[in-house]
Amino acid sequence: MKRMFKKIANCTAAAIAATVMVGTVYAGETIVMDGSTTVGPLAKAFAEFYMRQNPGVNITVAESGSGNGAKSIINKTCQVANMSRFMKDTEFKAAADAGVMPVAHVVALDGLPILVHPSNPVRNLTVAQVRQIFTGQITNWKQVGGPDLGIVCVSRDTNSGTYECFNELVMNKEKISDRAEYVGSNGAIRQRVQSTPAAIGYAGLAFVDDTVKALTINGIAPTAANVRDGSYPIARPLFMFTDGYPKLGSHLQRLVTLCLTEEGNSLIKETGFIATTDY
Amino acid sequence: MNLHTRKLLDRSFTAAGFFAIVMMACALILILYPIISRGLGAYIFRATCEHRRVQFEEFQAGSRQEIEREAAEIAAVRQPVFDMIAAHEKDLKAELQEAFDQVRALAAAEGGFLQRSLERRLKRAHADASLEECLAVLSDIRESLKGQYDHERFIGVIGVITERKQRVEQAAGKLSDMKHALRDLLGPLPGDRRPELLRSHYGQTRWDRSLHYLDKFLYRYDWDYTNAENTGVKTRTPRADEFRGTDLEPAFGYVRDNIEAMMQPRLTFYWRFLTTDSRDAHFFGGIWPEVLGTFYLTIGAMLFAIPMGVIAAIYLCEYARPTKTVSLLRSCMSTLAGVPSIVFGLFGLAFFLNTVGVSDSKSVLAGSLTLALMILPTVIRASEEAILAVPFTYKEAALGLGAGRWRTVLTVILPAALPGILTGIVISMGRAAGETAPIIFTAAVSVGLAISPLQALDSPTPALPWNIYNLCTEHEAVDEIRHVQFGMVFTLVALVLALNIIAIALRARISRKLRG
Repeated sequence: MKRMFKKIANCTAAAIAATVMVGTVYAGETIVMDGSTTVGPLAKAFAEFYMRQNPGVNITVAESGSGNGAKSIINKTCQVANMSRFMKDTEFKAAADAGVMPVAHVVALDGLPILVHPSNPVRNLTVAQVRQIFTGQITNWKQVGGPDLGIVCVSRDTNSGTYECFNELVMNKEKISDRAEYVGSNGAIRQRVQSTPAAIGYAGLAFVDDTVKALTINGIAPTAANVRDGSYPIARPLFMFTDGYPKLGSHLQRLVTLCLTEEGNSLIKETGFIATTDY
Repeated sequence: MNLHTRKLLDRSFTAAGFFAIVMMACALILILYPIISRGLGAYIFRATCEHRRVQFEEFQAGSRQEIEREAAEIAAVRQPVFDMIAAHEKDLKAELQEAFDQVRALAAAEGGFLQRSLERRLKRAHADASLEECLAVLSDIRESLKGQYDHERFIGVIGVITERKQRVEQAAGKLSDMKHALRDLLGPLPGDRRPELLRSHYGQTRWDRSLHYLDKFLYRYDWDYTNAENTGVKTRTPRADEFRGTDLEPAFGYVRDNIEAMMQPRLTFYWRFLTTDSRDAHFFGGIWPEVLGTFYLTIGAMLFAIPMGVIAAIYLCEYARPTKTVSLLRSCMSTLAGVPSIVFGLFGLAFFLNTVGVSDSKSVLAGSLTLALMILPTVIRASEEAILAVPFTYKEAALGLGAGRWRTVLTVILPAALPGILTGIVISMGRAAGETAPIIFTAAVSVGLAISPLQALDSPTPALPWNIYNLCTEHEAVDEIRHVQFGMVFTLVALVLALNIIAIALRARISRKLRG
């Protein structure tokens, strides 16, 4: 009996030893990025690019929503909080109380395209129409020049920075109708819209592909030029927040300022966002 | 109840039992079949030359000569298409020529500042300049001419520029669409600026995706909204029609007929999918960091849960007096087993990370502790049952021979209960490996490198369950990398199955030994 226990003990020890050996031997700096799912594609591209140029730095990216990003940096559980909205007063206060001084780095601009199913003949809506659709005053596509179909509104959850921006820029603080569906990520919005002919939703520019159609708003398309000069009405900057301005020359500083370099610019464009500067 | 009814009842019970088993088998097949068939698609698939190039350039797999030989072959097959594009571009540029000639003549006639400014712009539209560049130069010139205070003088030239530009711009737009579709299929075209995102460096790596993009290259999909009463109808027109009569027309037939030579699909067993890390947010490469993360989390949870669980079970069975407190404790434990896993996740965040602060950020340690808490009730319950199932005579014999309570437990009861305890551990191990909710806030991230066990103490890690969820809901290009998602599901199921088989084998061995 004792021998059997010994055997089991040996097996466990061997398993643990194997785990230790199997694990990649590596010791470097770890940077944790947390927050917005909208900034996610960009953060992942930055992380990938930066790790490739600086082997030995491990950058992890979690996509849990802007609100959670803010909470994480206030709790000091991440170094970079990706946010698709600016921090709220309450969050700043909580941060200051916790001894964290959030510094905003604008990494890119993002238009908020209003998405419909590509079979929907509607091409253009005004901001007021979008608002009325989401408050429930307009309930049928017929009312805005489309087919006779009941509108299905798809919105982001309230933890999302994209939701906050939509709420501020389109809804004018009017309440979104109770019939709207709330989903947890940009990708989920796209999936809902691409599978529902009557749906309308909104997502970050990086999430638009040819399975959904982006409407023009007040006759203006969400292109780079229109977002940058402010003529596309539903647009916002994307932020990365750090605790204080990072030490000059540190990995953290170079990561959050990657958007200012030419390579960073290309990364922003290729992921679908709009760079603040134009090379 | 007469015999006849009894027989009937008996038979119907047999039938119901049989039916239940068939239903379960059907459900199993329905669930497992797509997991296995599509999941294997991540490991075994027809890989194109682009896949081999990714493997070579990013993971140093494959031989250089082989890759270079293949690249030369492919370049030879692809070249005619690029030539056709170049010829078409040249034609379009030639159509702009008249406008440029007029501008040049104007510049020579005007002289002075206007000549210098026009010639500086013309220089940008040299012989090798791209079509887009030429068009941009023309717009630029037109704007600058329009900006002159006496621009009426240039009305003729401006008219020519506008007319030519409009004619060519439409064709250029179609060409650019076509090049875009070709780029999706084959990767960057000659003369393209080098992209930064890795996904744009290569063409399609899988044959199934290649065929999908071939279709998108050959046909243009549009929506026809002519019937305003109704939703639009998807239309499909051959792209070749748009280029009828140009140098580019044969390109479509050529690509269609030579697609296999261009992509060189070969059935490949891609075992590196398991052992390499991912590149460019899972576009290329494998899932090793996720597998390793899942492994750490499971082992970590077990390291905490097994000792605590077994000791608690021994205490409850052998030492605790059957008081009210103990029975209250038992019912609390049962309740704990029914608490939703997301509650454990939030508790882990609030307690281990924010209150205790086991690590600075999310970490494997915090995730393991949370998972351990979640499976603890199952481990305790199973161990308790196993210990209670040990015949009382064993204990009596041991005590009768003069063994103390502790010795009895250690040498008689525990070994006899071991198979049952192991069963409980196996069940909870599978659960720990597959749970998503407890690790969302405590351990999991969507992108990260494989970490070493030492780093597990303070670093977060990607893990299979979370990444499956993340890929299907949050990834920006989920349709491009469905195979990765299925591959992850398959790997997770296989991992849990392997853990279970190991444990079952171990258990069988122990039971056999116990029997003598």
